[in-house]
Amino acid sequence: MGSLIGQPVGRIEGPGKVTGRAIYPADITFPGMLYGKARRIPVASARIDKVDVEAARKIPGVVAVLTAKDVPGHNGHGVLIPHMPVLVADRVRSVNDVVAVVAAESEEAAEEAAEAIKVEYEPLPAVFDPLEAMKPGAPLVHEDGNILYHIKIRRGNIDVGRKEAAAIVTRTYRTAMMEHAFLQPEAAVARVDERGHIEIHVATQYPHWDRVEVARALGLPETRVRIITTAVGGAFGAREDMTLQILAALLAWHTGRPVKMVNTREESFYSHSKRHPMIMKYSTGADREGRLTFVEAEIIGDSGAYASWSPNVLRKAAVHATGPYYVPHVKIDAYAVYTNNPFTGAMRGFGATQPPLAYEAQMDLLAAELGLHPFTIRWRNILRQGDVTATGQVLESSVGLEACLLAAARAAGWDVERLK
Amino acid sequence: MAKKRGVGIACTFYGIGYGNGFPDVSTALVEIHDDGSVTVRTGAADCGQGSSTVLAQIAAQEIGVPVEKVTVVSADTDATPDAGTTAATRQTYVSGNAVRLASRKAADKLLEFVARELGVNTIMGLKASDGYITVLGYPQKRVSIAEAASRARLQGVRLVGEGTFTAHTTKLDENGQGVPYWPYAFGVQIAEVEVDTETGEVKVLKVIAAHDVGRAINKAGVIGQICGGVAMGVGLALMEEVVLQQGNILNPSFSTYLIPTSLDVPEIEPIIIEDPEPTGPYGAKGVGEPATLPTAPAILNAIYNATGARLTEFPATPERVLKALKAANPALKEDSN
Repeated sequence: MGSLIGQPVGRIEGPGKVTGRAIYPADITFPGMLYGKARRIPVASARIDKVDVEAARKIPGVVAVLTAKDVPGHNGHGVLIPHMPVLVADRVRSVNDVVAVVAAESEEAAEEAAEAIKVEYEPLPAVFDPLEAMKPGAPLVHEDGNILYHIKIRRGNIDVGRKEAAAIVTRTYRTAMMEHAFLQPEAAVARVDERGHIEIHVATQYPHWDRVEVARALGLPETRVRIITTAVGGAFGAREDMTLQILAALLAWHTGRPVKMVNTREESFYSHSKRHPMIMKYSTGADREGRLTFVEAEIIGDSGAYASWSPNVLRKAAVHATGPYYVPHVKIDAYAVYTNNPFTGAMRGFGATQPPLAYEAQMDLLAAELGLHPFTIRWRNILRQGDVTATGQVLESSVGLEACLLAAARAAGWDVERLK
Repeated sequence: MAKKRGVGIACTFYGIGYGNGFPDVSTALVEIHDDGSVTVRTGAADCGQGSSTVLAQIAAQEIGVPVEKVTVVSADTDATPDAGTTAATRQTYVSGNAVRLASRKAADKLLEFVARELGVNTIMGLKASDGYITVLGYPQKRVSIAEAASRARLQGVRLVGEGTFTAHTTKLDENGQGVPYWPYAFGVQIAEVEVDTETGEVKVLKVIAAHDVGRAINKAGVIGQICGGVAMGVGLALMEEVVLQQGNILNPSFSTYLIPTSLDVPEIEPIIIEDPEPTGPYGAKGVGEPATLPTAPAILNAIYNATGARLTEFPATPERVLKALKAANPALKEDSN
């Protein structure tokens, strides 16, 4: 037997998935199981005056209708700041917010009851543009200000970099809010097991973190919460924040019966985070040979109404803002800003996905100004072993960028020896 | 009817792990059973990217059993230790290291037992592979891992190993200086597109995708990640946008929020580059997120190469492409009138 490392070993969960034997949370049933449904309101900023659940309670088959007062522990969750309400007490900050949750004997009864809940609310001032949200006097999404996070990266002297440049290009780039669009919408089955522990079957990225969040909201020790990860139908970052875990657990805890919640595709859009839309203002300079002399960038990410991972996402954007190039003079500012938009968080790339749309456009614009081939300007700037990044980090090992560039260019039929 | 073709390139990098000095830790437990089979316990959730398979390969390689002998128990808080989140392209690197360490400890316990049994004075004199432990330089002398494990257990030896790995990073200072991530993965993609200058529609014809993964633990898995990353990048470049009005989502369905279908995914030529990372398991880094980063900028640069249109708002929907075409070539306005 040779080494197993590198071998294209078949996926150990593959046969289960392709034959349909894999178990996702929506496939799980328990005797006496109830169905849960969440209720949201279609406004992004409001004060809740009254949640009237009487009509909903009277619908046949309805077993429980829960509101904020029924959350026994901390009424909030969040990977960095646990401030996204499990169930809204008085203030709605985004269309993600859940006002009440229902458990019923059938899905139909649960849906009917969720709609029958009467929510009286007063719309409040809102802000939807992160640039507006940064201005003094903008409506506050949270009391401590709309700028959630600011990171600076400073290296060298940007004025020297500008003086040394033979060409400078300046552009502002804007990316869209994006949806993870995983195949399997959120689903969770929660029950109180024979030990009196809460057991949640869920497709998640991090069961041990889910346990922390559920225990905190239910006011239970972590050992009394068990998260069992089922087959996961794609994640891409959208299964890092709480969606149905706490809601299903709360219903199971109150009713003493197993509870299943399954999001429709539409509910899924409202339930999990999104990719940050970013506004990226870039100035990039290069000398006559195309060697970068400076990068100056301001990156503003729309965090939506809650923090989720936003500070970390914008930090990652800032750290990767120069691209994989040696740049002697760097000035980067990145901000995460609250708005009343749907909340944003982790999505494949985690803040390192948006800046390439800016820095790689800048590289081609500079190449055009300097009369260089896009390969050539990159060849002259890429990070190699021993080079220093914009954060002052020496890349000691495993810098395979030159090999990637050569391999891709050769595969495209480019005459790399001539273009170097 | 005018269709223009162009080629664009993009280079990207991606720092693996939580970063910024945050404890990025994974713990794994490994047990070798009487019959030579192995259980790996890890908190790592396999979200479809293939971590359980990669971790099984690492345990099998380290202990010297066929991969079919390994069972991975994962992501159950009552049964597995915390491995951190399946995110940040970190499970192959961080949990791969944890499983390798745990497997090594369990395997060494078995080797120490066998060394005594076979009269070998150091476990360095033993080699384990394909279910057998052999004496280095004297392969006639060997014992099956199942037999050895069974005998060891009857003598009270427990073949259990625990491994914990923490990735190295530092917190950035007030000027953003430090070691925010370790290691970095690199990628270069070259996209070829065809732009319909009348409709603004962009068709991606081909993407060449070269990625430095350190070392591919599972080449099929790496290629799968690259292809999925390219497909997702096509969506980012050309079609995906959550449309908001007063903070509400106007297109919460797949009939209005468009994602690439099989017809939108181009021919993909994945190229695996292996520049081993000394701190990675067998030199591995990761590829999950890095795979998607260069696609969209390469496509946008290909549109620029084909037409001279430099888009600054994404995705590059037909409307935006037409607008950028007109801005790049004012004569087009008269043509279309």
